[in-house]
Amino acid sequence: MTTIDVAESAESTALHGFWTRSRKVGTVLAVLGIAVFLIGLTMTAGAEASVRFNLTLPEAAAAFPAKPVVLTLGAVAVLLGALLLTGRVHLPFGLTVGVAVAAVVLALLIWAIARPGNTLQIDTVLKGTMLLALPLIFGSLSGVLCERSGIINVGIEGQFLAGAFTGALAGTVTGSPWVGILAATVAGALVTFVLAALAIRYVVDQVVLGVVLNLLVLGLTGFLFDRIMKDNESATNLAMRVPEWQIPILSDIPAIGPALFGQNVFVYLALVLVALVYVMLFHTRWGLRTRAVGEHPVAADTVGIKVNSLRFRNVLIAGLVSGLGGAFLTIGEALPFSENMTDGKGFIALAVLIVGRWNPIGGLLGALLFGFAMQIEQFLSSVPGGSPVPSEFLAMLPYLVTIVAVAGLIGRVRAPAADGKPYTKA
Amino acid sequence: MSRRVRTALTSLVALGAVTLTACGEAPDESGSDGGDFQACMITDTGGVDDRSFNQSVWQGLNDAAESNGDIEPSYLTSASEADYEPNLSQAVSKGCEVVVAVGGVMTDATRAAAEANPDVFFVMVDGLIDLPNVYSVQFDTAQPAFLAGYLAAGTSETGKVATFGGMKIPPVTIFMDGFAEGVAHYNREKDADVQVLGWNPETQEGSFADSFTDQSAGRSLTQNFLSQDADVILPVAGNAALGAPSAAEGTEGAKVIWVDFDGCEAAEQYCALFLTSVMKNIPPVVADTVTEAQAGENRTGSFIGTLENDGVGLAPYHELESEVPAGLADEVSALREQIIDGTITVDSPASP
Repeated sequence: MTTIDVAESAESTALHGFWTRSRKVGTVLAVLGIAVFLIGLTMTAGAEASVRFNLTLPEAAAAFPAKPVVLTLGAVAVLLGALLLTGRVHLPFGLTVGVAVAAVVLALLIWAIARPGNTLQIDTVLKGTMLLALPLIFGSLSGVLCERSGIINVGIEGQFLAGAFTGALAGTVTGSPWVGILAATVAGALVTFVLAALAIRYVVDQVVLGVVLNLLVLGLTGFLFDRIMKDNESATNLAMRVPEWQIPILSDIPAIGPALFGQNVFVYLALVLVALVYVMLFHTRWGLRTRAVGEHPVAADTVGIKVNSLRFRNVLIAGLVSGLGGAFLTIGEALPFSENMTDGKGFIALAVLIVGRWNPIGGLLGALLFGFAMQIEQFLSSVPGGSPVPSEFLAMLPYLVTIVAVAGLIGRVRAPAADGKPYTKA
Repeated sequence: MSRRVRTALTSLVALGAVTLTACGEAPDESGSDGGDFQACMITDTGGVDDRSFNQSVWQGLNDAAESNGDIEPSYLTSASEADYEPNLSQAVSKGCEVVVAVGGVMTDATRAAAEANPDVFFVMVDGLIDLPNVYSVQFDTAQPAFLAGYLAAGTSETGKVATFGGMKIPPVTIFMDGFAEGVAHYNREKDADVQVLGWNPETQEGSFADSFTDQSAGRSLTQNFLSQDADVILPVAGNAALGAPSAAEGTEGAKVIWVDFDGCEAAEQYCALFLTSVMKNIPPVVADTVTEAQAGENRTGSFIGTLENDGVGLAPYHELESEVPAGLADEVSALREQIIDGTITVDSPASP
């Protein structure tokens, strides 16, 4: 269960009968492809679209006739779907699905913007995706650290808020965004300290605790905002800025360059953290112990692992990470603090954690998927002439994508066995 | 051990409750005499510090209290739409003489509360309720937004201006309609071709942050507009709109038009980016209504703020005054007169 092992189970007829996962997904892809093809047929023959891959390479934004491109992409999706459906040809499942989905998405994007003068700015879309995904990456990492060691962290939202508030306050007062970031991580850890103390020491129900902590922090930050910040914003609540680091050469790569290598410091932090937590969790002694404590604390205890102190430590580390996510919301985005500014991102991070199967890399992919859907919604509504898709439908897109991803691609997910179960020595 | 658990939980919940109630402004010491006239406000999800209409209403209540010591203002915060009903009933049951409900989204909940409590006087800000015990306060913000659109079109160097809303509700889209009409008027007058991104008045479709609190969403929407070359942005999204000046700060020549409040007072740190603000003059009408109610005269019917009665207007250009050509400023003033005398009418499906 440590890797995303869809491929092995996807084609086993012994497990699923005729309708294996790859057949089901193939059907869906073929239907989507046909839909794209039909949409493409309704386009006027003269419609043009242009695609821009990078600001620094403006020549790349050449206009091309949109209709044949949409039709071709639709046909690709139908073909790949059909191949999966027949089950004759053995294709790498993940890659095939990825290519087909990308074809469908790209075709729909081109269809939606195909009007004179409009450009599909791939670089802007990907850069925005990364930024929208970032809080979810931090949040889901925090969730991974907690839940892998057996503590449910519903309080990510609260840790975000505490981090955002403290980051803005400490950063403005000291005049240094770095101090703000540090203070935000400490604030996040303080919230998880309460979580850890009550959940581990006093065995309080962890879900109830998380919800209460969210309300507590929402009230507390609102109150402190009223008392400290509101009437004295210039001294306590300014928008801080962290530098954007352009990594030479790499940031000039078309399309993904600006998104990955021309970004805010927080982006690099998040990517490093994902890699770090992944390696630590699956390739170190600490990781093995953490997973043992989350799966079978009794067994862990019998081999001499101090279950509760390890859990306590991991929950505190998780607080540092979600505090960092909070710091991103104010300092990283160059925004001042305002009440309830997290707006449910902590809960979406929780969903991302499950979509990502309690795995740091899965969480990263889930967050990117979600960020991409949100970014598409915003991008399409902002092009001249607006989007041909109603805004209410676009607003549903991120959630729709999540449901499809969970139901169609991820399949059955399993939480760590001892997740949410307090451990007391018998 | 179970007692320990219970103590821990109870103290935590109690701590939470204390902190939460602390947001709702402590009542005065004299609160229990019964002589005071309680004016209670129910905020929308933006909260009382939204640098926008909730804050304006709260200021109006405080202005009333300042000039008349018998009036005791308080507010209940709605963290989500699910809080409207309980907050309204709480206000009624704690004996508020006037209940001020803020925000068009709360209209249905307020209507239900007003029907159930015919003896309580309600003030509905940004919504219309036709009941004898409700005074509806609305603003025809399409008028000043029209002026802002004309101004934006005249100052844009890229020929693209943009707007986005918090949610697709009439009190928000009315700004966007007026703005788009103002730009269209400029195009007709000057034979220009300035484009509006983010709102199409014909289809009533456009860009929305889907939130009044999510600054990140506002920021990333603005980033999208800037990458489409828009250089004047009108965000109509409460606190979420704060993302707009933050994103514009990094882009040469980008300007923002604030709404509801004068941006230079509401979000002082971004004053250098605010071209102007489309203002609702909420505090005076709220203060007057409450003061009269305290004197025993409950207003009925509705108030519509227009350019003519100064219920709405444009804020000064502040630090960007030099960017507005003198001719353009005069044209905007002339347009204002034309709207007042009826030569130009600004229509929006969302107009009150």
